[in-house]
Amino acid sequence: MKVRLGARRTLVFAPYIFAASILSAMGWPLDAPVPAATFGTLNSGHFLTAVALASDGGLVHSADEGELVFVYDQKSASPSLPSTIGSYVVVEHPRGMAGVYAELARGSASSYLEKVKPGALLGTAGASGMAAGPGLLFGLFDRKAERWVNPFLLLPPLGDTTPPVIRSALLANSGSSYALGEVKSLPQGVYTVAADLSDALASSWSAGNAAPYYVRLMIDGAKVAEFTSDVAAVKDGMLRLSSQSPKTTLEYARPDGKIILASRLFARGRSIIEILVRDYAGNERRSSWTVSVE
Amino acid sequence: MEETGKKRLAIVIIAFVGVVYFFVCAVPLPKELVLEPRWSTALETPVGPTVAATPAGSDLASSKDLISFTLGSSFGYFSPEGKVAFSAPMPFGLAISDAGYVAYDQVPASLSLRSPQGGETAKVVEAGYPFYSGKRLFVMRPGQNSAAELGSDGRVLWQRDFSSLITAFASSEDLALFGLMDGSLVGIGKDGSELLSFSPGGSRVAGIYGCAVSPDGQLVAAISGLDKQRIVVLERRTSAYRVTYHRWLDSDFRRPVAMGFTADGRYLAYERPDGFGIYSCEGRSEARVSSRALKRLGLSIPDRNMLVALEGGGEDKSLLCASPKGKRIFSASFGAADGFLAQRGDALFLGMAQSSGAARIVRLDLREE
Repeated sequence: MKVRLGARRTLVFAPYIFAASILSAMGWPLDAPVPAATFGTLNSGHFLTAVALASDGGLVHSADEGELVFVYDQKSASPSLPSTIGSYVVVEHPRGMAGVYAELARGSASSYLEKVKPGALLGTAGASGMAAGPGLLFGLFDRKAERWVNPFLLLPPLGDTTPPVIRSALLANSGSSYALGEVKSLPQGVYTVAADLSDALASSWSAGNAAPYYVRLMIDGAKVAEFTSDVAAVKDGMLRLSSQSPKTTLEYARPDGKIILASRLFARGRSIIEILVRDYAGNERRSSWTVSVE
Repeated sequence: MEETGKKRLAIVIIAFVGVVYFFVCAVPLPKELVLEPRWSTALETPVGPTVAATPAGSDLASSKDLISFTLGSSFGYFSPEGKVAFSAPMPFGLAISDAGYVAYDQVPASLSLRSPQGGETAKVVEAGYPFYSGKRLFVMRPGQNSAAELGSDGRVLWQRDFSSLITAFASSEDLALFGLMDGSLVGIGKDGSELLSFSPGGSRVAGIYGCAVSPDGQLVAAISGLDKQRIVVLERRTSAYRVTYHRWLDSDFRRPVAMGFTADGRYLAYERPDGFGIYSCEGRSEARVSSRALKRLGLSIPDRNMLVALEGGGEDKSLLCASPKGKRIFSASFGAADGFLAQRGDALFLGMAQSSGAARIVRLDLREE
């Protein structure tokens, strides 16, 4: 199992696995990490550019060596600029990677450190910002590429064996919506394929779905779209998720939270629609549906 | 005899010169500046709900001249004459200015914009934490890397995502300046367009630790970077901002740094490890005022050419007045766990809260004697 997952990681995460091999290995910033929200999860209409780890009062450690370059502690900070991620510290890790450790308990953020060793105590996990539960928000910003990187790509794998969830999928056009699995035939036309997908997490901070790492849409055996939640960067004043086909929140999901996979003309005949979802550990789930287009 | 006559003549001449000097060259002694207490009002310990309101029958119910305060565990408004419009317990979060306030929960479902009297003026369903800058209202959105401006009716005027965390902010009437963790400054106009994008650079570690905008928006300043930290001032020339001043600092702040232009835009005050620095925008020169831990920085009294700050920590605070050339004009100490300072013309409003919860606001008028 481990060999298989490793092979998948190497293929999909190649650039950051390469970076990780150069970097000194990062460790989890909490002793018993329990993912509560994944990178790219929609949080009040915004992409989460970090991962959330559930913990109530757990000690937060530096994931790697570095230098503490910024401390914002709600207990002492001026209220003129609020922080929606609560109290946080920024540690400059090797190779231009800035680690953001947020949602720390008020008054717990370390301010006495400058040089930080791997595992150094940075604070206590809390709920000082807009997080829906106590824990740690851990983000990694690649200064050179000016983008947020999914921390799961650089952290040791967790023993996760639960595959993601495909709750439902649909075809929609301007006037109608057809739930796959329920509809057998539909009129010819251009449809948007959208699906209710979620990574399966033991704990959840988000009222919505935890974003899956990788999604692929195949129609009649041909790859139509694929999407990876690996990085997030700003272009033209809007945050966009994924390095393959960067999407804004409006392009990524419908108002009901279903992930938009592609828009495509469905011509007369039979179509087989297959969705594959994969999580960070390499666990996969596939679903396929057959529809007749009249 | 002749000797005696010469002596007498010399004495007469000296006396005459002395009398002439007394009347011609005399310079009046400078008048002494004094702080005259006008009134002192005790704040009742608030026990009511966070959403407070001025009683309908009160003469403050329609006043446009209320001053906001946050002091100890309470917030509210008072009039320059010393009447407290209301005082309410501090909520989880509070955005407040003389124009209105928004009290909010940790995860707000919506935001209620309220007038200084407490009446709801608008309701906003916008995720994030609000904050005032002058009379302008902004919202920091989830993730700390996105912001929006709200109109007085609660409408979103513009919104924008930023490349990294927002670590500093300042605004004028026409410019909203964001300082980012990645070391860049981004200026946004009233219509949401980008007016400024600049990275001071030059330091081993990039980052913006504080920023300021002059009231007319013509000057912006920032404290940036680590090893070394530096101050940069930019001036708007036609359509672009150009660096007009920079200096390496001996500070090593790794937290938000206080800085701000004076109301007349002539000086920039910024926090230093040993007090605060004053940059003269006209002379492009700097002065330094030594001070204990700063609590409030940046108030200015242009007519008096004077800056006022609140300094001190623990239970000991001081009101400090300094000249732009760095001279401490006077300081007045008082015992308080928390302090508050506001200014209207020559009137200073000083709030003092004790650890016990007792709090009062005092009006002090600057007067020459």
